[in-house]
Amino acid sequence: MRINCRYWSMKLQTGRRTDRYRRVAVRLRAPLLVAAVAAACGGCAAVGVKPWEHDLLAEPVMQLDPYPIETAMDDHIYFSKEASSGGRSFAGGGCGCN
Amino acid sequence: MSRVNQGATGLRGALAAAAAGLLANGQAGAQEVPSTPTTVIDSAVLVYHEVGRVQAIEPTLNLSQKIGEDSTLSLGLAADSLTGATPLGAVPSSKAQTYVRPYKIIPLGTPVTVTTASGGSTVVIIPPATGAKSQVLGASTTVPANTYPLDRGFYDRRIAGHAGWEQTLSSTLKIDGGIAYSKEHDYRSESVHVGLTQDLNAHNTTLNAGLNYESDLSFPLGGTPTPLTAMNANWKGADESLHEVDAVLGITQVMSRRWLASLSYSFSDLHGYQTDPYKLISVVDAVSGQPTSQLYENRPDSRRKQSLFLENKVHLPSDVVTVSLRGYKDDWGVKSVTADLRYRLRMGADYYLEPHLRYYRQGAADFFHYYLVNGQAVPEYASADTRLAKLSAQTYGAKFGVRLDDNQELNVRAEYYDQHGNGSPAGAIGQLRQQDLFPDLKAYTLLVGYTMAF
Repeated sequence: MRINCRYWSMKLQTGRRTDRYRRVAVRLRAPLLVAAVAAACGGCAAVGVKPWEHDLLAEPVMQLDPYPIETAMDDHIYFSKEASSGGRSFAGGGCGCN
Repeated sequence: MSRVNQGATGLRGALAAAAAGLLANGQAGAQEVPSTPTTVIDSAVLVYHEVGRVQAIEPTLNLSQKIGEDSTLSLGLAADSLTGATPLGAVPSSKAQTYVRPYKIIPLGTPVTVTTASGGSTVVIIPPATGAKSQVLGASTTVPANTYPLDRGFYDRRIAGHAGWEQTLSSTLKIDGGIAYSKEHDYRSESVHVGLTQDLNAHNTTLNAGLNYESDLSFPLGGTPTPLTAMNANWKGADESLHEVDAVLGITQVMSRRWLASLSYSFSDLHGYQTDPYKLISVVDAVSGQPTSQLYENRPDSRRKQSLFLENKVHLPSDVVTVSLRGYKDDWGVKSVTADLRYRLRMGADYYLEPHLRYYRQGAADFFHYYLVNGQAVPEYASADTRLAKLSAQTYGAKFGVRLDDNQELNVRAEYYDQHGNGSPAGAIGQLRQQDLFPDLKAYTLLVGYTMAF
């Protein structure tokens, strides 16, 4: 019985702590995200290649969206059949009712 | 094969690559070699076939024209035609069910010669109100027992167009903007967007930001129904509007000579009519599970959507792998993950084969219910549209492409989409335990694309 009480007491404390951490985490989420992006951008300076090493990246297939019509058609189909949309670009117009 | 390609690079390739790097602007690492075409014509035809439901065909044409050294004009036109059957949202029953909808308004006293409407439904005359100068014809459809209720009279035509302009402001900065328009027989959408692209770190990093505003108008056939009222064939309410603001922030990074990574965050804020005016939700008897009435669904007027999209492209010695992941959530309670994998297998200099796999999983919206129960309080928002249910889907496909010459490519893609959810939810009542409340959706697509640059 005592063990049970201690267990529940610990659980309640843990719950309170979790709530507090969650509130702090929510409050810090935006600044942390900005800091992470800034750090990532700063780190980007150390990553990359020289101009003459862009040969493979210059191939059309290495474009982020080499077939925009295909992407737009796929986005429209998935927008009409699933509850999610967007991601890399704007979802585009239409009812998507059917 | 890889040796041949590497060998082909040689001095010419090195010079082209150096020039590409020096001339680079726009998307990190995706610079064109000096022979950048001034005009690109991109076209495709999509044939879409859902098993037992919607069929669609969609031709699309895009034109991109360089104007001077620093500007590009783009124009696009798409049309689609859809016919077939779409779910009503109602539950199946062990008894035949009859559904009605408004069909047409005619001047009072006009002889009615039509006996059938589209989709095999029967025309019924709605008694006009006293003093009315017109009367409404309704369409009545009977769904056989133990059959998932579908609206078989559904058809749609859509035409869409867009125009855009991209302006290079400096060797590292670009601005772009555009407008888009889409019109269906019951829906219109207009949007305007603007974007900025900034290169950093010797064109190894690209930051991009975009803003889009969209204004939509919904004018359903038969008018807009009052949410959560009983299905009827009367002509209904006025048009409804929807306003949407979207923002995208992204970063693209050259990780190595063979690896490009991109991360985007997008946010959308929607206000206005987001209910599907054609969808119903059944109210069932608490014991037998038999539908006692059908109500028009109701969704919240506001929605906030967020997603995080990560894409990686890796150039292997010969082939190219593209992997993307998307996490999505909104304040309707929907959360989803999407994973996408493409592997481009180069087959000699002019051919390629690209298998494609996509996996998607979503949780249900807070207000999704398979049905409502008679005698219980009707919630403020309720929809039985299975697209808002917990579901998962897989896409399997392959694309075959042929480079006809230096400036032309023809490709053909075939895909199979399989969506499934829980057709036997826990706690189903009475006869609903014997019904499939979420039949699988299976769709095939065939896409033929042709690109010409000169």
